[in-house]
Amino acid sequence: MYGLLSRTRVIVAVAAATGLATLAGFGTSSAAASTSSSSAAVKTSACGTKPGVKATGTPIVLGSIVTDQPGTSFTDIPDMVNAYFTCVNDNGGVNGHPIHYYIETEQTNPAQIAADAKQLVQTDHVLGIVGNTSIIECSVDSSYWKSLGYYVIASGIAPECYGTPNFADVNMGPRYSSDGAVQYALAKGIKKIVFDQSNVPGTGYIAAGPNALAAQAHASIVQLTEDVPITNADSVAIKEVDDAGPDGAVILNFTPPDALVILQAAQSLGIVDHVKMWGCSTPCNTDFLAQSLGATWNHKLYVNAELTPPDSANTPTMKLYKAILQQYGLTGPDKVTGGIGSFSQMGFTEAEIAVHALESIKGAYTVKSVNAAFKGVKNFETGMLCQKWTFGNYPTHIANNEDYTVTVENGKMLTAQGCTQISAVDPQIAGYRHHAGLAPLDPTA
Amino acid sequence: MLDVAGRTASAPQPGSLLRRPSPGALIRTVVIVVLVLFTLLALPQLLSLYYVDYMTQVAVYAMVALGLGVLVGRVGLMSLGQIAVLSVGAWSAARLLFGTSQPFPLVLVEAGLITMVLGTVLLLPALRLRGLYLALITLMLASAVYVVLLTLNFPNGGHGFTGYNGNQIHIPPIRRPSIATSDPAYFRYAVVVAVLMFALVAIHIRTRPGRAWAAIRQSEPAALAAGINTTLYKLWAVALASFVTGVAGGVLAGAVHYLYSDDFPAYTSITILAVVLMGGAYSLWGAIVAALLMQLLPALLNNWGVSNDWLTILFGIGVVFTLTTAPRGIAEQFPKDMARLGGLLVRLVRRGKPGPAGTPEPVSAPAPAAASEAEAP
Amino acid sequence: MPSWQEFQPFIVTGLALGGVYALSGVGLVVLYQATGVVYLAFGAVGATGALIAWSLISVSLPGWLAWLVCIAFSGALTLGYGMVFGPLLARRTPLVKATATLGLLLILYGAMDLLWTTSGGEVRSLTLPTDAHKFSIAGVQITYTQLIGLVIGVVITLATAAFLRSTKLGTAMRAMANDREITATLGVPVRRVEAAAWLGCGVLAGIAGLLLADMVALDATTLTFLVISSLAAALIARLRSVTLTFAAALLVGLVQNLMVPIPSLSNYNNMAPFVLAVLALLALSRRSVIALSREEV
Repeated sequence: MYGLLSRTRVIVAVAAATGLATLAGFGTSSAAASTSSSSAAVKTSACGTKPGVKATGTPIVLGSIVTDQPGTSFTDIPDMVNAYFTCVNDNGGVNGHPIHYYIETEQTNPAQIAADAKQLVQTDHVLGIVGNTSIIECSVDSSYWKSLGYYVIASGIAPECYGTPNFADVNMGPRYSSDGAVQYALAKGIKKIVFDQSNVPGTGYIAAGPNALAAQAHASIVQLTEDVPITNADSVAIKEVDDAGPDGAVILNFTPPDALVILQAAQSLGIVDHVKMWGCSTPCNTDFLAQSLGATWNHKLYVNAELTPPDSANTPTMKLYKAILQQYGLTGPDKVTGGIGSFSQMGFTEAEIAVHALESIKGAYTVKSVNAAFKGVKNFETGMLCQKWTFGNYPTHIANNEDYTVTVENGKMLTAQGCTQISAVDPQIAGYRHHAGLAPLDPTA
Repeated sequence: MLDVAGRTASAPQPGSLLRRPSPGALIRTVVIVVLVLFTLLALPQLLSLYYVDYMTQVAVYAMVALGLGVLVGRVGLMSLGQIAVLSVGAWSAARLLFGTSQPFPLVLVEAGLITMVLGTVLLLPALRLRGLYLALITLMLASAVYVVLLTLNFPNGGHGFTGYNGNQIHIPPIRRPSIATSDPAYFRYAVVVAVLMFALVAIHIRTRPGRAWAAIRQSEPAALAAGINTTLYKLWAVALASFVTGVAGGVLAGAVHYLYSDDFPAYTSITILAVVLMGGAYSLWGAIVAALLMQLLPALLNNWGVSNDWLTILFGIGVVFTLTTAPRGIAEQFPKDMARLGGLLVRLVRRGKPGPAGTPEPVSAPAPAAASEAEAP
Repeated sequence: MPSWQEFQPFIVTGLALGGVYALSGVGLVVLYQATGVVYLAFGAVGATGALIAWSLISVSLPGWLAWLVCIAFSGALTLGYGMVFGPLLARRTPLVKATATLGLLLILYGAMDLLWTTSGGEVRSLTLPTDAHKFSIAGVQITYTQLIGLVIGVVITLATAAFLRSTKLGTAMRAMANDREITATLGVPVRRVEAAAWLGCGVLAGIAGLLLADMVALDATTLTFLVISSLAAALIARLRSVTLTFAAALLVGLVQNLMVPIPSLSNYNNMAPFVLAVLALLALSRRSVIALSREEV
């Protein structure tokens, strides 16, 4: 009996292994639209100060915490940061010192996130944190970073990513990006807005921005939330369109998969043209979405874009980004699977800022000096954002508060409107601009 | 009837609490005391804070696994919704900790009681269902609770019944007891609470409820015929499991400081069931093994750079293997396998002298009637 | 309270959603009636098949071939599982058999996230040619895909009911679900009958996977756990009647969608399947029955 059972064990194990091996043949490899050949013209060595010289000094250790769970994974961002750092290490390092980068993944479990932070600080002895992208990490760890004096360069999602002294983000986050999308609709004269967002922590905080904008423009706004992942998109789409009416706009704040099913449902039901305009916050700004939507959505969907569209700017920085992605990001075990897109752009920008800050340090690299350098970044031209980027010594940080608007055209996202400031009608924006000493309508930082 | 835990339990002797302990039981008790003392005193010094945080989670989920083990292993009631119960406990504790300034232990007890009442009330009408239907109805209830929680949200220092303020930017952390604010101290606190919960369950097992549960698992019609109030004892088991899980929820709230509805999806109930089956639903050690599988393995995998998805796959394989080949789970199979190995080695060394008999069961009721893995008719 | 006019489109989409639930619900009950196993991995198998089809289509394989591979994969995987674990667990209770399929669910769920990552913000979608053809009801456009989903549900229901009642193989399946060993002694080729049931269920899982990936979302988590909502419909029918399951699924979809336009209930609409299942189970089992037969559930 025991022998029979152990034989069964072997059979099942073999079957499982073969099954998985076969499945591996159908691997992901969902690389993005195109990897431009023109990037070959730019050498990746431009990332460092001494082309071709490998850095060999004592390493500067940095770390990050990123969400990686089924359906929501942001690992491309720190993976791109890593690619940039590897490039820098191959080309002189930071004053001869290579950068050592630790990436901790988490599954939206607060205990895990707190443990990851302790690991980075106490076991890995990181000097700075760059590249955090997590649904709740800012909330869980902000007091820890504050107590230790870490100033984090991140891509924010939760409200605390924008509301504490210790985080500054390269992106705009859901509230200000939704502001941008709503603003675009209001600027077109729309007087009825339906704002629908995913029911994740912070919906009230996010809704407050569009509420303020609509109130000031004397437009009415309906606030909706949906539990995600969405399983009955048809009803969601009908509800939104009914509430908006033929002269209204539906603005969505969802992750790309959920936004896609709503938009596809609207298309399938034939109600796309029953409202004046569809809008979306910046997560929708991905060529994957544009391809899935198809040509019927040309110029019907307007997406707020917090980063410079890669196809619209042929600057040296954009070329360097594509070159580093090609040479360092698409090779090795930690691939940047999304290719050219907002995730890798954010990673590039964060790494850029970090290296720029590190290069300004004279003397020893310590927690104090590294974080003072991060905090001291001022008016840095990243080449990826509308504005120059500043960390600064402020109680809140909304460093990226100027955006593009893009629209769908034949499977790609193309610029519909250039850099426009997020309106200071949103009290948080007004508060930040006041601290940062920016005049409300001053286009240059 | 043999069920998921795969063994036939026979009723313990009456008055087992007062019986003079055998040498085996004495050794077991000493081992347990030594282990507990080691965990309390030495472990936090030896581990980095990263692992201390994870081990606190092990303590929390050991209690959850304990509750599930009572239901599945002792009484034969399958629950696919323990995470919902945990979330109710965590919610209650968070609400009380924010809304009142009661001492932490009192809040834990209250959270346990609230969860106990809710769990019993929700499950009472369902208890007339059996086996598969009961399991599936717990899945339905848990899924419904999750949807409610998504709309209700967890308390974050706001006012009103829900204690949730959607506009909050700076969410205050859930407080910890004043004697245990640091992570190592809170780990010790959690371990003490866990030990108390395990003791509570052990006492139940050794006295009348334990006997009644064993009888019900053996055969419910026979138990009824013997005059046992099966509904009462099943309810008692649900109440106990809910209480323990509710207390675990309270400890979890203090451990993580911040709670979100996303932390308690129905899917995690499946994972907990998987590890409880793998660890062994019948033995109390199995609950600890289950918690280690669920909470410590991810910590190790993260350090080795292995994706968490491999753990999901491992748990899936573990469920299937355990149900088909080792129904009693690792906690009971492992000592048997080790004993078999030991016996083999001894035989090789002594050449022909018979090896020792199997290891006695740790900390559980007296030896099972059937040692084979065959089904009872 | 919304007007009748405003409810109308939701009635139509409610029936369409009911069709979605019916596909998986009917598949679950069919296999349960034949083998006594509640195949909780139904959604996960279909999801994996749909993702495989997506991968093949994205390397320019013709659509029909990709769908065939999906269906073949689902059928083969389910058949393999059934042939290995069916006999191994044959004498265990239905609860144990259902729990074992949870193991398969976990394996597939982990594998799907490993192989079809979302780490770069990848968004996948599957379209079927029937999406392009539509017709209007009550001001709402319904695609032929949704209609096919509903029709397939009806066909499976009718065919299974007739099959299980009238054919020799069907009767053998019903006998086996009741008592496998006695059926074997009667000379019924038990393993072959079981194989037919598992294969049939697997094929259905593949077809359902494609349709659901099109109608709901091509997302591993959504498709895998959609089976829980379909299970609600099956539970309302107490896992006993395919026809009742189909009707219950339509009812569940209808109730869920009718909650959406009502402001106070809208946020809770996802609860509808679960609440209905609980109420139905409790109402329909008012008398406590101690079953003594082997077929204990």
